[in-house]
Amino acid sequence: MNLSKSLVVAKADIKMAMNYKYVKFGVLGMGAMGPLFSVLSVPMIYILDPNASSYIEFILPYISSMLAMFAIIPAALISANSFVGEREQNTLEPLLCTPLTDMELLVGKSLSAFIPSILILVFGTLITEIASNILLFAFGFPMMLIPDMPGLFLVFASGPPMIFVVVFVMIIISGRVSRVYEAYQVSGVSVLVYIFSMLVPTMFIGSSMPFGQVIWFTNILTFMISILLLLITSYLALRMFNRDRMITQI
Amino acid sequence: MELNNEVIINNLVKRFDEIVAVNEVSLEVPAGSIFGLLGPNGAGKSTTLRLLCTLLRPDSGTASVAGHDILEEPVNVRECTGVLPEEGSHTLYPSLTSYENLEYFAKLYDVPEEEAKKRIEDLLKFMDLWERRNDPAGELSTGNRQRLALCRALLHNPSVLLLDEPTSSLDPIAAKRVRELILKLAKQYGQTFFINSHNLAEVQRLCDYIAIIDEGKILLSGRTDELRRRLQSKQVFKLRVADNIETAKSIAEGLDFIFDVSIESDSLMLTILDPVSNNSVLIRKLLNANIAIIELAEEEMTLEDLYLQVIKEEEQ
Repeated sequence: MNLSKSLVVAKADIKMAMNYKYVKFGVLGMGAMGPLFSVLSVPMIYILDPNASSYIEFILPYISSMLAMFAIIPAALISANSFVGEREQNTLEPLLCTPLTDMELLVGKSLSAFIPSILILVFGTLITEIASNILLFAFGFPMMLIPDMPGLFLVFASGPPMIFVVVFVMIIISGRVSRVYEAYQVSGVSVLVYIFSMLVPTMFIGSSMPFGQVIWFTNILTFMISILLLLITSYLALRMFNRDRMITQI
Repeated sequence: MELNNEVIINNLVKRFDEIVAVNEVSLEVPAGSIFGLLGPNGAGKSTTLRLLCTLLRPDSGTASVAGHDILEEPVNVRECTGVLPEEGSHTLYPSLTSYENLEYFAKLYDVPEEEAKKRIEDLLKFMDLWERRNDPAGELSTGNRQRLALCRALLHNPSVLLLDEPTSSLDPIAAKRVRELILKLAKQYGQTFFINSHNLAEVQRLCDYIAIIDEGKILLSGRTDELRRRLQSKQVFKLRVADNIETAKSIAEGLDFIFDVSIESDSLMLTILDPVSNNSVLIRKLLNANIAIIELAEEEMTLEDLYLQVIKEEEQ
């Protein structure tokens, strides 16, 4: 497999996707939304209520889940455009006539969605950590990890596999849907995995189990679910990627 | 002399559910020749082309392009073919400029950077698109987009070009230039062309070999000049008589070497088998019946007549 060819495809796909306003503003908006939401929540709670430390631990799981969720949505936007959008605008046929192998094409298309999403995930988390602590420091509160350690685990352990899950779901459905927005909606459902990491901890509020353990348990479980989804979707995507089906839908 | 065939198709079959789009098609296209596949809409032309460029997998049968099997070596087939898909003008990336569209494909076809720059410039200049190189493809006219799509097919200097309706949506001048380019490439560089077309006049002017396809089946194939000769053996004549046109019609209908007798205004249109021998028989019969002949003239037959005749025979 020639990785440089895949990178050519990825670069072109990102460039072309960004030419669409809804993708450009979607990616930029989602990239900004995670840090904005996080920075405004925890430090603002502290600022508004100096005694917030007693319940702040209940807010932190939402921050990491939100950061991961907002980083995955751009992957759905770009990959919908990259797979179904190519077919919708009739550019897929000449692309499939080039000497790209199926694997080079799949890797290229996957990277076009993965690269922006992973950048949003990493920089979004970094910006959240820095900006939150600048705010806390400015108002005289102790500095802290936002997201905290279990949150960072959730973001960096389950985020990358979930980005790939979105891409693989797109490959699976690309032969079955004909419109970009349908593809985007279907693959976007993948972000619901983070509803799990948001909801489960709330069920343990008031229980005898230490809340920190509940968060670790939930996040490890979310990570395992994301790995399981990755295995299932990658298996199905590689089996179901079919030039015939993609072309006959044109 | 045995010709080296660049495209060989053996009993190729492609089905879409119940529909047999390509039905045991067998063809051979010699290297350096221009081959035209003619047929009405839905005849199976585009499916045949898509099978050859490995976009579709056949249900049965085999084919090879430039010595590479379409099933065993699809990447090699794609390396040595340049494809202009159906409605090629709509297959460009609208947000990329003309230059960027070609640059992107040059990279995918592994054309070295310097060579790619030169080829892109040469092709854009040849197609009168150099001034529009920085315009997004989506802002070009349909004709300009079609020419740009043709540049893309020629970019990596392929040995076989698979063109689906290459001059559709082009104005007459641009279409003429494309035909000249095809002839030049075939003659100077020995490139083989497999062209799908509805345009019979174009095929007649361009192609060395022709096949007629309908409902997925090849009805007729051969060298263009051979098919023209075949036309000579059965030709349409226009007979003008002074009067008694109905009597002349019944005499003509009574002769076993005359087919398709019809009256068109003041003339009879007759299809005569082996006219060189049989025309004198017809004239004698008419004169014996006291019919004054004003004119018996050969109607010029084109491939279109042959095409319509073959389609008609198939329907019957």
